[in-house]
Amino acid sequence: MSIRSSLSVLALIGLSCAACGGAKEEAPPPAPAATTAAPAAPAGGAAAGSASVAGKISFEGTPPAPEKIKTSADPKCQALHPTGLERQTVDTSGGGLKDVFVYVKSGLSGSYPAPTEPVLLDQHGCMYSPHIVVVQAGQPLKIRNSDDTLHNIHPRPAVNQEFNIGQPRQGMESTKSFDKPEVMIPVGCDVHPWMRAYIGVLNHPFYAVTKEDGTYEIKGLPPGEYEVEAWHEKLKNQTQKITVKDGEKAKADFAYKS
Amino acid sequence: MSGRPGAVSTSTTFRGAPRFDPWRHRFAVTTVAATLVLIFVGGLVTSTGSGLSVPDWPLSYGTLMPPMVGGVFYEHGHRMVASLVGFLTLVLAVWTARAEARRGVRRLAWAALAAVVIQGVLGGLTVIYLLPTLVSVAHACLAQTFFCLVIALSYVTSREGRVAEPTPDVAGLREAAMTATAIVYVQLMIGAVMRHMGAGLAIPDFPLAFGGLLPPLASTPVLVHFAHRLGALVVLVAVTRLFLRARRAGDPRFARLAAALLGLVLVQIGLGAATVLTVKAVTPTTLHVATGAAILGGCWLAALRAFRLLPPAPAVLEAPISRPVPQS
Repeated sequence: MSIRSSLSVLALIGLSCAACGGAKEEAPPPAPAATTAAPAAPAGGAAAGSASVAGKISFEGTPPAPEKIKTSADPKCQALHPTGLERQTVDTSGGGLKDVFVYVKSGLSGSYPAPTEPVLLDQHGCMYSPHIVVVQAGQPLKIRNSDDTLHNIHPRPAVNQEFNIGQPRQGMESTKSFDKPEVMIPVGCDVHPWMRAYIGVLNHPFYAVTKEDGTYEIKGLPPGEYEVEAWHEKLKNQTQKITVKDGEKAKADFAYKS
Repeated sequence: MSGRPGAVSTSTTFRGAPRFDPWRHRFAVTTVAATLVLIFVGGLVTSTGSGLSVPDWPLSYGTLMPPMVGGVFYEHGHRMVASLVGFLTLVLAVWTARAEARRGVRRLAWAALAAVVIQGVLGGLTVIYLLPTLVSVAHACLAQTFFCLVIALSYVTSREGRVAEPTPDVAGLREAAMTATAIVYVQLMIGAVMRHMGAGLAIPDFPLAFGGLLPPLASTPVLVHFAHRLGALVVLVAVTRLFLRARRAGDPRFARLAAALLGLVLVQIGLGAATVLTVKAVTPTTLHVATGAAILGGCWLAALRAFRLLPPAPAVLEAPISRPVPQS
């Protein structure tokens, strides 16, 4: 083959690289906002009633031992956690079961427009904050990198569109949304495999995430009969039927055993 | 480097036999070695679950050199070794195009270059489209094909590949080597499907399958996994057959290679078992991938040798390559 042919091949390779180079780089954010981890958005906004349901999630027995996490794969993460990380997925330290997602699974009628205000999922200290984040279908989910290291954000939904984006610099923000209701979407960072959170996507605002003492409250429900479900990342889902009238508060406790 | 202008016209010697170019051959062998390293590093990416730790391509987090932390170390490391292999292949192709007299060899070199470019694009597509099984399997299979192409380039540029004396194939080594190569390639394809569909632990025990000889074959992952285990037995039979024929032929060039291949197959079965029993620990799983490539490469080399050195009938070979050529 002649030199000209060789050069043509080189040019082709160059062209293909240039064409592939069109991958969009995430634009840097305007300015990093406060890095305080926001809790999951409480029910509200499009509430259509004055009833509510509240309760406590309890756990009986001995929870599994905390998972020990090595962060040595990234020196910056290791510097943030010099003695290592421990993750307790069944967290009963506050007297009840923390991080249980409780939501109205069925019984609602009508539509509830998605809020335009974004919900924040922060990457802070090489962990996600909050661990459970909930949005309505179509509501913006703002993802922020508060760490001085790079992260990729990779949700693995079953019915929504999967994506994988990188945030190489501290303070970067990206906004995404999910079109369809889905409980739950695991999200992780492939750079730091220990990072894991869950995104709940609903088509209504009637949900809550339990606090450290295991309590929750879902406000603003219209009167009616509902099926309420409790979801935990390690434990089996539980459901209850409830009936509420306007202005009343129904009680729905859930009990888990080891 | 012999790729000087005019090399094509002067690269044949007495009676048209192509001249042996040791430097180009060494360069081709270096490319083969680098490719095997690349296959190992690529295996590490999947074994460590780092395939999507760099979400963009061809850049990595918008740069050429991101911080090599966590999964980025494996994924970007794979890209760096892949770039090196791509560069080596480019040099080899251009060198061959300029210095090689045989048209078929020049075409082989260009085919290798095309394969490595397509392989790079497939690697990019796996990242951009979030590891679709089909693309990931194609990426894994093309890696093996490319490996065979550079082995062929290495062989045809070797002294043996150019000037060795052929002898009749009395033991049927051509057929045995080609059969083993084809079987190993199919086995690697099944392995790639199993790995990228996440069926590596679909049968969790070894050597039995769900406590019996035949697992319940209702699910696709179990079916694919079991096919890979059966494939291992077929490979063992094919390579043993090659080994026995090589021994019968009494040609040390084949006997040694076939013995090494048989040893590798036994090691490979052990690594497969270790992969299951360690619940896909990174080291045995990745060594299993690389050893599979080495077995394919060895079988392919045996086939190339057999087709070059062992004519099927009473030796009828073109005169130009039938007698040794004095070294320049």
